Amino acid sequence: MHSVGYGIPISWILTLGAMLFCIGLFGMMVRRSAIGMLLSIELMLNAANINLVAFGSYLKLPTIAGQVFTIFVITLAAAEAAIGLAIVINIYRNEQHIDADKISAMKM
Amino acid sequence: MQILGFYITGYQIAFIAVAGITVLSAIGVVLMPNILRAALCLGLMLFGVAGIYALMNAPFLAAVQVMIYVGAITTMIILAIFLSHRVMKIGFSQAIYNPLLAAAAAGVMFLFLLVTVANSVWVREITAGGPARTNVGVDAVATALLQPYVFPFELASVVLLAVLIGAVVIAKEDTADA
Repeated sequence: MHSVGYGIPISWILTLGAMLFCIGLFGMMVRRSAIGMLLSIELMLNAANINLVAFGSYLKLPTIAGQVFTIFVITLAAAEAAIGLAIVINIYRNEQHIDADKISAMKM
Repeated sequence: MQILGFYITGYQIAFIAVAGITVLSAIGVVLMPNILRAALCLGLMLFGVAGIYALMNAPFLAAVQVMIYVGAITTMIILAIFLSHRVMKIGFSQAIYNPLLAAAAAGVMFLFLLVTVANSVWVREITAGGPARTNVGVDAVATALLQPYVFPFELASVVLLAVLIGAVVIAKEDTADA
């Protein structure tokens, strides 16, 4: 019936991305535990990915670049999560908590 | 299909359903006092994003999202929670810090983004009806990765190797100078 597309306006997708980003921003500010902050970072990264894919596939001359960039972002997000969780586990081993407000080992 | 006088396609209904699941589970991620439940909400939210990719004519990316995010990253986070949290003891007021101020700040940011989305003109470059149907299968992604983007592709593998070694070194228990 629709030969061009699926009938989903791009503004819907951008609004969804904005919602996810702001929820992630909120979580980043309110979470005390470092793992909670990592979860919020994943939310914000996914919001950015959604926007990349949306712009890539809604162009009149669609480009695969949006999807390729998203693959790179997913790769780096996996790397970031691995390093972040390794640091969290190391901090927990040394201080027996991962409350981001109380971690003071690197304070002057 | 006609609902309340509006013409709605099946794809729009699917989008609204998947987006609703995604946003609700995202709210669960930030508000669940129990961090383990928050991580499980993150898994659901990542599934929702995979559904959004599928609706945006990006099936390969949907598969990648499920395999890497849902399969690998969520599992890793849950394992880290098991290693570092006393899971069941934390209450809402201990887990969440100053929610009203943060909600106001995030709400202002959301309004700003919403106004930007609503006031921008997408007419010239963007197809109105939805994503254009072109070849976006695995072969298209592979061609793009191995021809114009081959340098970042190889760089990503170097980064992953560095991360592999770095994560082991950081998380390893210091037995020598303990």
